[in-house]
Amino acid sequence: MSKSDVVVIGNGLAGLVSALVSADQGKKVTLLSYGAGTFPLNSGLIDVLGYDDAGKTVKNPIEAIASVADGHPYKKIGVDTVKEALDYFKDIVKSEGMPYVGSADQQQWVVTGVGTMKPTCLVPESMQGNKCFNAGEVVLVGIKYLKDYYVEMVKENLAEILGKDKKYSVVEVDTKLQGGRDLTTRDVAVWMDTEAGYNDFVAQLKAQAGSGKVFVVPQVLGTKTNVVYSKIVKDLGCDVVETTCMPPSINGLRLRDVLLSALKKRGIRVIENAKAEDAEFSANRAVSIKAGGETRLQTYEADKFILATGGFYSGGITMRDFGEGKEGVFGCDVVTDCEEATWANKQLFSDKKQGFALAGVKTYDDLRAIRAGGIIENLYVVGRNLTGYDFCFEHSGNGVALASAFKAAKA
Amino acid sequence: MELEERARDTGDNCIACTSCVAVCPITKANRNYIGPKLVGPAHNRMHFSDEADYEESLKLCSNCKNCDITCPNGVSVATLNMLERAKYYKQHPEAHTQVDQMLSHGFDMADMLNKLPLGKTLANLGMGIGKAFGVLDMMGLAGKRDMPAYADTYFRDLFPTIKQPKSDKKVLFFPGCYIDTNDPEVGVAFVEVMNANGYEVIMDSRFVCCGSPLVVGGYLDEARSHADINVAVINEYAGKGIPVVACCTSCSLMLKAEYTELFAQSEMQQAGKNVYDSFEFLAILAEKGQLKQAKSSDKTKMIYHAPCHLRAQGLGLPALDILTAAGIDIVNADAGCCGMSGSYGFRKENYETSMKVGENLFNTIKESGASKVVCDCGTCREQIKHGATKNVCHPMQILAQAYKG
Repeated sequence: MSKSDVVVIGNGLAGLVSALVSADQGKKVTLLSYGAGTFPLNSGLIDVLGYDDAGKTVKNPIEAIASVADGHPYKKIGVDTVKEALDYFKDIVKSEGMPYVGSADQQQWVVTGVGTMKPTCLVPESMQGNKCFNAGEVVLVGIKYLKDYYVEMVKENLAEILGKDKKYSVVEVDTKLQGGRDLTTRDVAVWMDTEAGYNDFVAQLKAQAGSGKVFVVPQVLGTKTNVVYSKIVKDLGCDVVETTCMPPSINGLRLRDVLLSALKKRGIRVIENAKAEDAEFSANRAVSIKAGGETRLQTYEADKFILATGGFYSGGITMRDFGEGKEGVFGCDVVTDCEEATWANKQLFSDKKQGFALAGVKTYDDLRAIRAGGIIENLYVVGRNLTGYDFCFEHSGNGVALASAFKAAKA
Repeated sequence: MELEERARDTGDNCIACTSCVAVCPITKANRNYIGPKLVGPAHNRMHFSDEADYEESLKLCSNCKNCDITCPNGVSVATLNMLERAKYYKQHPEAHTQVDQMLSHGFDMADMLNKLPLGKTLANLGMGIGKAFGVLDMMGLAGKRDMPAYADTYFRDLFPTIKQPKSDKKVLFFPGCYIDTNDPEVGVAFVEVMNANGYEVIMDSRFVCCGSPLVVGGYLDEARSHADINVAVINEYAGKGIPVVACCTSCSLMLKAEYTELFAQSEMQQAGKNVYDSFEFLAILAEKGQLKQAKSSDKTKMIYHAPCHLRAQGLGLPALDILTAAGIDIVNADAGCCGMSGSYGFRKENYETSMKVGENLFNTIKESGASKVVCDCGTCREQIKHGATKNVCHPMQILAQAYKG
């Protein structure tokens, strides 16, 4: 296998962005993928920092990340790099026809699939929950037989948050889709990709449309970019807002598609279904890694490696016994100083972080990995491989993924 | 010997993340399929309740393995589906139709026709007439398709007539049914390419069909006997230091990995290590600096379709890399599954689903402006011929041509 300048291991958001930024630096990049990353479970929103350590909502994400605790990835990445990374992301998705709105210093609000609102930093045009604030009437769109979406509950919750001075109404769309299984958001999104489905959907909402109104719809506005969104706001003549949804996340998959398209344009080589198993070193540098299928591994040489294999969910970090976390490719040092008693917080929705969530690879401030107490000079660690943050608690997952990838690729 | 780590137990690794459902081409095309997560890992774990319990839509799985490619946790989703399907037919042997029997045992028909005078010619004629009069449809076959025509001379009969330079470096060719009986030119191209690289190609008549169509048809016991025969041959040659090479990516996947996944035997795992996909083998030569460099003067614009069963092997797209290095003007279609999946798309009841799955690939090919499609899989090529363009070939044929200058 011909040598690459950069080998990226992992194809979640951190992996794909690492590959893109590296290629934009003029590097020859190979990306090894094993599984679809977190995208089918990922909102595709760029949360930078939603809540502080006390669980209070952050109003200005970029200001708040300046004061995160020591050891937090943002401390290592730095405020300026986070800003640059957000700009880079906005450029990429815009050039791929799926523009995001928002800025580093102001929180955006998104309607969730249960009708609550959550803070985030960058949102695709179709999910701007902020548009609900100024609307006089919120029209909640339910879809007959749609799984995991209870429009009356969404209405009740949203009315509580947005206030009783607005009008709330419900309209139910019938897709008339036949077939033996439950209707998922993806089924409806696929239907909306078709001209017939789209026209039927619009026809069923048209009577409710009007100025000062906003439609809140489950995540069904097509499977690709924002084409359906752009069309439907024109055809209805008022705002439309998509909620987040249960897996598979349509917006996560849309984002994956546009990033993969950007990868392709840059000629980045993607090796699918290749699990990275082992690395070779020369002194304190990684020389190559071995990756492949069940039968045989290939050797991938590079000057620089970026590790983006994820945390416990993705198998990037594993642990058999408490306190003995492992990173399986390079054997990096892993922080898992949580003990059995502090490992998990049983109050899932309380104001405490999860012990296990803080596990990750030890790195220097420039994100270079630590192994056996020493540096690996050409290995950078990004995304959920990093230690020191509970992305779920603080709503920072894609923010850390994006910014760490940007920093590592630029280094 | 039974392996300790068995693919059939990987259902327990499923975290129900739904990634497989999100990428499954059949789930997208056909609303009757409840999806890989539910029929494979989930159902597999419920089975202790009732052996005869069966999910009806399981028969819609095409075993294309996009679920395996997308799974973050190493669940052998498609294999779990196939094991579930086999369990069903064990309980309900009467459920096997004539068309199941025929499509899973194409090798029997091909052998028989080869023994009859004018057998293949008459069969080809018969299939054409059958198509025209709707007989294929009545039999349960996709009547809108051409059935793949039998070659005048099978590769097994052609091979002894090919003059090769003798060499100490040998590879054992596993032609697979499609190349052997329908597309022997690919085998000829393979011999030319291997000869150009200093290898002598040998054949062994003990090889039988890899068993892929038997597995998807639910004839798992027969597939096991095919596996045992092939594995014994492969291991015998492993002892002599002779690797086994296949040009068909479904055959190579079956011999390398699927036997072990399905039957969990150590000798299968051992055999797999002695099997290579043809361009994987050439890529390894290239890595060692031993591949003869080709310089093509062909200016044809080409597009490459990567078979799912190659993508599942986790080794990248070696044919695309090697043809690009040879100076061929070729791009990656990167347009997902073609929808054929071996015998799947030849079934009447799957025809519509199969064509819907392939739509993106057909459009990508048509819009590319390429005048030739290159693909390592025989039934993918059949699908592309039916849905996009007749000008389709195996990458080995392009490389053989490039060597000739």
